[in-house]
Amino acid sequence: MKPAPFEYVRAASVREAIALLDHDDAKIIAGGQSLVPMMNFRLAQPERIVDINAIAELSGIREDGSDIVIGSLVRHAEAMRSPLLARHFPVIAEAMHHVAHLAIRNRGTIGGSLVHADPSAEWPLLVALLDGEIVAEGPDGCRTVKADEFFVAPLVTEIDETEILVAVRFPKPAPGAGMAFDEVARRAGDFAVASAGALVSVEDGVMREVRVALGGVGDGPVRATAVEEELTGRVADKVSISDTVELACEGLEPETDIHASAEYRLSLVPVLVRRVLERAVLRAGAGAA
Amino acid sequence: MNELPRKTQGLGDEALAMARPKYVGKAVQRLEDPRLLTGAGRYVADIRLDRMVHAAFLRSDQAHARISAMDCDAARAMPGVIGVFTAEDFADIPVISAPSRMRDYRATKCTVLAADKVRYVGEPVAVVIARDRYIAEDALALIEVDWEPLDVAADAESAAHSNAPLLHEELGTNILFERVFETGSADDEMAAAPHRVSGRFRIHRKTPLAIEPRSYVAEPDRANDGLTLHGSTQVPGIIRDILSGLLDLPGNRIRVVAPDVGGGFGGKGSLYPEEIAVCALARKLARPVKWVSDRSEDLCSTSQGFDETIEAELGFADDGTLIALKGQVTGDVGAYSIYPWTAALEPVQVVSFLPGPYRIPHYRGEVKGVATPKPPTGPYRGVGRPASVFVTERLIDMAAAHLGIDPAEMRRRNLVSETEFPYRIGSGIVWDRSGFAECLDEACSRVGYEGLRRLQQEARAAGRWFGIGIATYAELTGIGSRISVAPGMPINTGTETASIRIDSTGAVTATFAVASHGQSLETTLAQIVAEELGVRPEDVRVVHGDSGATSHGTGTYASRSAVLGGGAAIVTSRVLRDKIRRVASHLLEAAAEDIETGDGRVFVTGTDKSMSFAEVAHAVYSDMKALPADAREILEASESFDPVTGTTTTATHIATVEIDPETFAVKIGRYLVAEDCGRMINPLVVDGQVHGGVAQGIGAALLEELSYDRTGQLLTGSLADYTVPTAVEVPHIDVVHLETELPGNPGGFRGMGEGGTIGAPAAIANAISDALSPLGVGVTELPVTPERLFRLVSEARNKTDTEK
Repeated sequence: MKPAPFEYVRAASVREAIALLDHDDAKIIAGGQSLVPMMNFRLAQPERIVDINAIAELSGIREDGSDIVIGSLVRHAEAMRSPLLARHFPVIAEAMHHVAHLAIRNRGTIGGSLVHADPSAEWPLLVALLDGEIVAEGPDGCRTVKADEFFVAPLVTEIDETEILVAVRFPKPAPGAGMAFDEVARRAGDFAVASAGALVSVEDGVMREVRVALGGVGDGPVRATAVEEELTGRVADKVSISDTVELACEGLEPETDIHASAEYRLSLVPVLVRRVLERAVLRAGAGAA
Repeated sequence: MNELPRKTQGLGDEALAMARPKYVGKAVQRLEDPRLLTGAGRYVADIRLDRMVHAAFLRSDQAHARISAMDCDAARAMPGVIGVFTAEDFADIPVISAPSRMRDYRATKCTVLAADKVRYVGEPVAVVIARDRYIAEDALALIEVDWEPLDVAADAESAAHSNAPLLHEELGTNILFERVFETGSADDEMAAAPHRVSGRFRIHRKTPLAIEPRSYVAEPDRANDGLTLHGSTQVPGIIRDILSGLLDLPGNRIRVVAPDVGGGFGGKGSLYPEEIAVCALARKLARPVKWVSDRSEDLCSTSQGFDETIEAELGFADDGTLIALKGQVTGDVGAYSIYPWTAALEPVQVVSFLPGPYRIPHYRGEVKGVATPKPPTGPYRGVGRPASVFVTERLIDMAAAHLGIDPAEMRRRNLVSETEFPYRIGSGIVWDRSGFAECLDEACSRVGYEGLRRLQQEARAAGRWFGIGIATYAELTGIGSRISVAPGMPINTGTETASIRIDSTGAVTATFAVASHGQSLETTLAQIVAEELGVRPEDVRVVHGDSGATSHGTGTYASRSAVLGGGAAIVTSRVLRDKIRRVASHLLEAAAEDIETGDGRVFVTGTDKSMSFAEVAHAVYSDMKALPADAREILEASESFDPVTGTTTTATHIATVEIDPETFAVKIGRYLVAEDCGRMINPLVVDGQVHGGVAQGIGAALLEELSYDRTGQLLTGSLADYTVPTAVEVPHIDVVHLETELPGNPGGFRGMGEGGTIGAPAAIANAISDALSPLGVGVTELPVTPERLFRLVSEARNKTDTEK
């Protein structure tokens, strides 16, 4: 469990990091929570490691007009404690409780989690749920990628090897929107067997905007668009929700692995979707009668 | 300790008796903790020696294959590599084989490195020695092996077939042993029994998973043509003895030392190829050789546990009286019969303990062990009993449900009662008097059993899946020389020796061959010596785990060290104390029988005459005018203790669980253990052992499983996939201690280090089955994961739908 030999370089700026990435088989290291285990198992044997931890411009959570921008070096624990995120996206802190364990939350970064793109991880689901946009910078400048284009396959994203994920941009939701996240995992902190997030806006007891995202049941995070469409305009109550949640399974083909079969995973989807929708509606202040 | 009077001079007889330290039974803080908690401990990985080199093992990625060619040239040529060694380099080391007198037992032959073929994924085939571990692992990647894959029968059922591919061709079969235990006429009585319940039970393969993986440093002693092996082992004495033969070195030139060891749970209780390899290479290279297992290697090379299928049937009368029990145990024992315990250890204990603490007149138990292309199974905390208790306790609950009797009452009617001890169960094990019924009653009363049943009714009415599970068991601990875990084993596990000496400064050193690796023996043995000798525990230095310090002794395993080590501590301390009193009688001019000891001093009862141990020692060793020559008794004693038979420890575990009917997540609510381990040496230590044991039992019940696919590949090769309980998954555990009647050994101790692991799987399986009983399903397979519960419940619901 020792990594193969590699070269280590520490970048001071995004531009320097991009220059350093122009090398055969270079990898960025930030929190190292996915890369280092893979290197120790020798599943990854990069020739060069570019450390971006010293790049100040990748840090911090800030407000930018109608968006909230989270730097890619922000640690899970920092996101969990951020008052700004708590105000606009309380669901982020709720989801962060499920991210591994304290030590990992203190080191692991949002950028790392997104480029690792584990279909069961919390951040990909949050980006899908909150209509996030990934900001990537490469030799040719900056570009923005939407969630549905970013996650290509398990552990594969749209980002190029020459690029750095610099930030995630979340549009602020409608005031009063309710949100919730829940997941089923073997143990506290394990990757989710299945997970779900919901965001609901309620006006006059009717659901106006409904977003539902799923994790662990596809190649990447999945939006349950059938549920979203069906529920939009419906009365915000338990009956509407329970009538609809089975639609979340439409088109899903989850994997079978040693932790869970496809059938079991699929059985969890309507359960989780119902739970997060009911909570989101409650939090939207409409009450799920 | 603080309540003891410090001033003891001039006290009368009665006061003196009061002043005698009473350390046994007290919650003495662990003496090893200051060292271990401040980082002053020394584990094998901490050992750095001059000119030390590092080993890395190339392990088979094939379950069953012939090695047709191996090319090590590129690895050898790598800068920093000192050598690459394969089987032929160890040709002068005898083949390792675990003998047994058991009929129908077939020993396997194992070489240090696989010679012509491999028999499991993870089997070592080559070893690189390099300047550091990084280089050694880089070189492993350059070794090329041409495999000729052989057919694989990956599980016991397929490997037992007469036409299955053979792991050991010379044996002509994969069945390594078969054994039958029979008392009464189980077949006839079962057929005639008014009621029967039966099941096919499965307990999956587990790994001991000590926090410190196996680690060895072999240090050659060129001056004496000798060798010291620093090893994270539970059994330094066993390893010393076998290495002496394998390396052809007398015991005074080979020393096996276990320094601080971070847990074992059975996984460090056997002989390993890596242990032999580092020793042989250290001699060959004349340099210290270090190998520290990484977690991946630990998961595929440390001896594994359980892995049995048990078909069992219980026959009983209308009133619940048990009549007959039958069990057929098939053990999936892995590729080799492990030294020294043999592959029979675990499965034979399953069948031996199947009748449990119950009065069952007719028993027939059959067991067989089948070699499979997986790592060898070996001792694992609880050995056999977690599986047997799981099966028997499930059957008891099934029988209770069949008759509509409460599970607690069903047990009460059938537990061996006070007047029946000693009681011989159908497999031949004899229970001495232990609090079987007392633990059950105490557990029920402390947990508020009736109230829990009422809670359950309310929960059920509200559609919740809430269950209560009981497990009552008995185990044999502190086993003496008359009982052998495997007949014909080349070692004696039935005795322990203590050597206690007072040096010329008056300080006490007590040396044992047991090897504490988390059991707190440095504290508990010091308490015993302190109690018997008349000093304070912190004044006793306990030396253990060093084969160079003792003539014989095997180590720490099988819940033996408190009974055997503690017994040896008592008998030896008493001999030494008599010596002290005789010497002091000269010095204090009093009769030896009037001399008492306490707080590191000797007193003449009824007078104010006293002196310190240091003064006594000075008189014996240094002040040659103080004593007549024939009264200068060296203040040392060495005595052996053999409990001859074993002693019975019992407990009842009660667990409540609540299952989420939609996600099948299981949450443990209450967890209570009422146990009788005789006289406790230290309740803190007993509680800690119970807590840890229960945590491991929860792993066996709900989480832990080594999965192998049909080709023999390990699917759970990291701790992301092999899931052990964390603090979040372990509930608060209440522990109640009973001391029903003390066993007939010097301290009145019963072994208890394994009990938590034995009771928990059954209690949780019963609680889950109880929760699911309205659906008509019960647990027969452990661990019972959410996936398995999902399938169980889905099948039950489909069945109900079809019946509609």
